[in-house]
Amino acid sequence: MSTAAAGYSPRVRSLFSALEGAGDLPEAAGAEVSGEAVALDRLAWVRFAARIDARRISDCRFRAFGCPHTLAAASLVATQLRGAPIDAGLVLDAARLKRELDAPAEKMGRLLVVEDALRNLLDGARRVQYQRRWPSP
Amino acid sequence: MRDAVYLDHAATAPLDPRVAALMSACLADPDLQANPASSHAAGRAAAERLAAARGQVARLVNALPEAIVLTSGATESVNLAVLGSVRGAGAGHRHVVTSRVEHRAGLDACRQLEREGHDVTWLAPGGDGEISAAQVEAVLREDTALVSLMHANNETGALTDIGAVAGLCEARGIAFHTDAAQSAGKVPVDAALPGIALLSFCAHKLGGPKGIGALYVRRRPRPPMQPLHFGGGHERGLRSGTLALHQAVGFGLACELAAAALGDESPRIRALRERLWGQLQAAAPAWRNGAAEPSVPGILSVGFAGIEGESLLLELDGVVAAASGAACNSATGEPSHVLRALGRSEEAIQASLRLSLGRGTQAEDVDRAAAAIVRAVARLRAALPLGALERIA
Repeated sequence: MSTAAAGYSPRVRSLFSALEGAGDLPEAAGAEVSGEAVALDRLAWVRFAARIDARRISDCRFRAFGCPHTLAAASLVATQLRGAPIDAGLVLDAARLKRELDAPAEKMGRLLVVEDALRNLLDGARRVQYQRRWPSP
Repeated sequence: MRDAVYLDHAATAPLDPRVAALMSACLADPDLQANPASSHAAGRAAAERLAAARGQVARLVNALPEAIVLTSGATESVNLAVLGSVRGAGAGHRHVVTSRVEHRAGLDACRQLEREGHDVTWLAPGGDGEISAAQVEAVLREDTALVSLMHANNETGALTDIGAVAGLCEARGIAFHTDAAQSAGKVPVDAALPGIALLSFCAHKLGGPKGIGALYVRRRPRPPMQPLHFGGGHERGLRSGTLALHQAVGFGLACELAAAALGDESPRIRALRERLWGQLQAAAPAWRNGAAEPSVPGILSVGFAGIEGESLLLELDGVVAAASGAACNSATGEPSHVLRALGRSEEAIQASLRLSLGRGTQAEDVDRAAAAIVRAVARLRAALPLGALERIA
């Protein structure tokens, strides 16, 4: 109850405290894509927005509702995606997030929501790039 | 706890320094080391001190000292009241009436009775959190052995009209038990009201030590009771075991202090609670769980749209000590059964915070806590996905 911090690793506390990457993308060159996952039954809702430039993610931001692990994971993903090539694959899946955050097993459901939002973002990014290379007639 | 604003008095109140000093003195007093049940002079001295403490405890609830059974706390008192009275009622009385918003002690004791073959009627509260006498009257039966309802709810603070319910029970010869753990010392509690057969309360909610409580057991007519455990037949055969004199002495003083402060503290704390609620309007949309009145003065259960309770508590960690919507179920991590019974959604339950004020709470504490909560809510909302604020409430 009142000992809310007892169950959180230093990494979670640090990420949660800063929430780096929270908010909206600033105006800049490049295409904007987003990926979202909502699971209110797990009390988690995550949305990533990224700017794509030259097949790389030039910037990434998130918005999220959820527990400290959810917010920390979303922040970690958003900051680590910056500069990543869009074809790099899913570098931060739920299992990796769990390890990075030293999260308990019962948080896996919420971390999977973060993973789903990331997957949707990367799928969107690849679609944008495909459409740019092969525009519709 | 030293730097944070402590708003978790409903979980436990800080030990009053006067109580701590008296308990320490009692532990160190060479004349109070004997077993109060011993017949020699040293035992009699301890027994005299125990009797004085029992008298102080009894006076808080307008009872005779002989009607007070000392226990390890309200959980044991509730278990003894519910299990002991129903098991003692005999084969012809298999029905129990309680509510869905009881403390886990009451819920789990009644579930145990169901496992033993008893029939339990679980009353649901209205949206205001109250159980009415009319609801109770509608379900009473010929074979009803016990009606057990909280006086004040530990999560919402809502007060039950125990006088009306006790009157119904009195007229039908049914035992009535009330869990007064959250109300004793906060509002006037009168065990002498017609129809109250059993009444539970404890020390640590009113500035006394943890580990001691009391069960008032009406003397005439005494409800048929079975003990939960056996030994030397202490406490009128209902609670065997050598009593901890220093605990009883601390409990007694805490009751006396609470009774003396009741007239001034109750309106002061109620005004502080409303001041807190008023300041939390800056974090709207927000809601109050349960009706503002009738209630015990110190409990405010609030919810904030778009907020996940765990994150809010971490935001407040070290600044405000409060309880989440998981409230009394923190050991299991289950969402509050009380808020669920009030019809709140899972999201709204998780978005809720129980803030409970006590004798040590001052206006500046309330102002500091409110400002911190408003800041924390704003920060978390700033990170919400679009549409979440409207959808999560």
